[in-house]
Amino acid sequence: MREPLEVELCGLRLRTPLVPAAGTLSREELPEVAGAFGAVLPKTVTLEPRPGNPPPRIAEAPSGMINSIGLENPGLDAFLSELDLYDVGLPVFVSVAGETPGEFARVCRRLAGDERVAAVELNLSCPNTERGEETFCSHPPSVEEVVSACREAMPQKPLFAKLASERVLENSLAAGRAGADAVTLINTIPALAVDARTRRVFLAGGLSGPAIKPVALRCVHQVSRTVEVPVIGCGGVVSGTDVAEFMLAGATAVQVGSGSFVRDVREILEGFLSYLEENGLRARDLTESSVPPRP
Amino acid sequence: MRLREAEIVSREDLGSHRLLRCRWRGEEPSPGQFLMVRPGGSTLSYDPFLSRPFFVHDFEGDVVSLLFEVRGRGTELLAREEGGLLLGGPLGRGYPLPEAGPVALVGGGVWVSPLGFLARRLEELGVEHEVFLEVPAGAPEAYVEGLRGLFPWAELVPTGPDGPPGALLGAIGDLSRYRALYASGPAATLRAVAGAGVPAYLAVRERMACGTGACRGCAVPVRRPGGLSYARACAEGPVFAAEEIAW
Repeated sequence: MREPLEVELCGLRLRTPLVPAAGTLSREELPEVAGAFGAVLPKTVTLEPRPGNPPPRIAEAPSGMINSIGLENPGLDAFLSELDLYDVGLPVFVSVAGETPGEFARVCRRLAGDERVAAVELNLSCPNTERGEETFCSHPPSVEEVVSACREAMPQKPLFAKLASERVLENSLAAGRAGADAVTLINTIPALAVDARTRRVFLAGGLSGPAIKPVALRCVHQVSRTVEVPVIGCGGVVSGTDVAEFMLAGATAVQVGSGSFVRDVREILEGFLSYLEENGLRARDLTESSVPPRP
Repeated sequence: MRLREAEIVSREDLGSHRLLRCRWRGEEPSPGQFLMVRPGGSTLSYDPFLSRPFFVHDFEGDVVSLLFEVRGRGTELLAREEGGLLLGGPLGRGYPLPEAGPVALVGGGVWVSPLGFLARRLEELGVEHEVFLEVPAGAPEAYVEGLRGLFPWAELVPTGPDGPPGALLGAIGDLSRYRALYASGPAATLRAVAGAGVPAYLAVRERMACGTGACRGCAVPVRRPGGLSYARACAEGPVFAAEEIAW
């Protein structure tokens, strides 16, 4: 019955096209919601532990939210010692970040030999670290450099590059040239919340949620028509129709991020299944029949 | 987390605050736990986007009460909602219930909410307790009257000229009379309670996005064996033992 939902991504069979966006999956809640996903993707890991940013870390925005968590994570060693907790019978994708190409590559080298890891997603676009808004995505050559280093460190497993909306086509081409097997589009968009009461900046961070969906769709559409590697869509998914829209724009799989904070991901999948049934379609048909640009 | 539709059974306008009583068919909450709340009704809206975390103010039979200040657009829409609410939970780690008294319940401002449910439980358990609530300067009369109705045995203490928590602590007097303090209030009050030399449990109120431990948006600085780190108010809290929090 669930067969219509199945998709293939870089040789991996996913029983649904939904994947949690990095940093939005609750391990405590995973057993309950696992059925909705085709793969599991825990919060981004870095070589060394990171305490994350001091509060406040989140702010409400029109049809979305701004976050500045700062890649809080226990570091690679502790992450790997807890990775079994994410085993719910689904492929595990690991999101990786680093300060330098060498740091990314060291993490990938460790993951290369770990059988529990099905694929690695390089977080090249987090706006909430010491680097500020200057990310690897600000310069296509640095995208190429990181992806190349990781490709060399981890030749066998599928490698995804998660990119910003900024310079998305150039960066996707660069990632593909350097050996990425897929690109994830898009990360949060740099944004600011100002508090008029205190007359101060309340939070500088990344905007997510339905507010960024049109931007994400445009990036997915543009890149999937130009770049050969598959695209994983991400940005503002809160409904089954949103999933369909991303796949029609050219995505092979779709990440659900802050949408899962406000809507149960199982309801999103149920909505998507209804869409497929009503239209007599399978999920993979959508990507293949992706909509042409408007003449 | 699946949100449940909850019918609004009654609503009270307490000036700056609202008290909504809703039919609750989920798991039984315990004092200090919270629910994620968003407007229900016939149309699903994502503006405002995030659900709001509200402490369970009271729970009796199958009715859960939510007491909140109307502060911005999100709480304004919740206050006006006619079609019911969407509720998720109960969430978080609540107050550890004492076996014996006397204990003091200490709160102020928009944070008094969880103390109502705690007082009810202590009453049921026969644990001797006293309630002290700080009332912000300029609070509307309807709110003060409302508090008197919700906490009939509480001592209401107007905020002094120095702000919280000076007048409140003055009214309580010798804190060492109590076996433990159960607090929910502004940071200054919690900090003062934490430093009183009596075991204390503090309910913190943080902005939250998910409420389920995923997003790490509700970071609370805590002392851990490795040094300073952040705990999640939604998962390790919202109630912390006073010594856990790194001020």
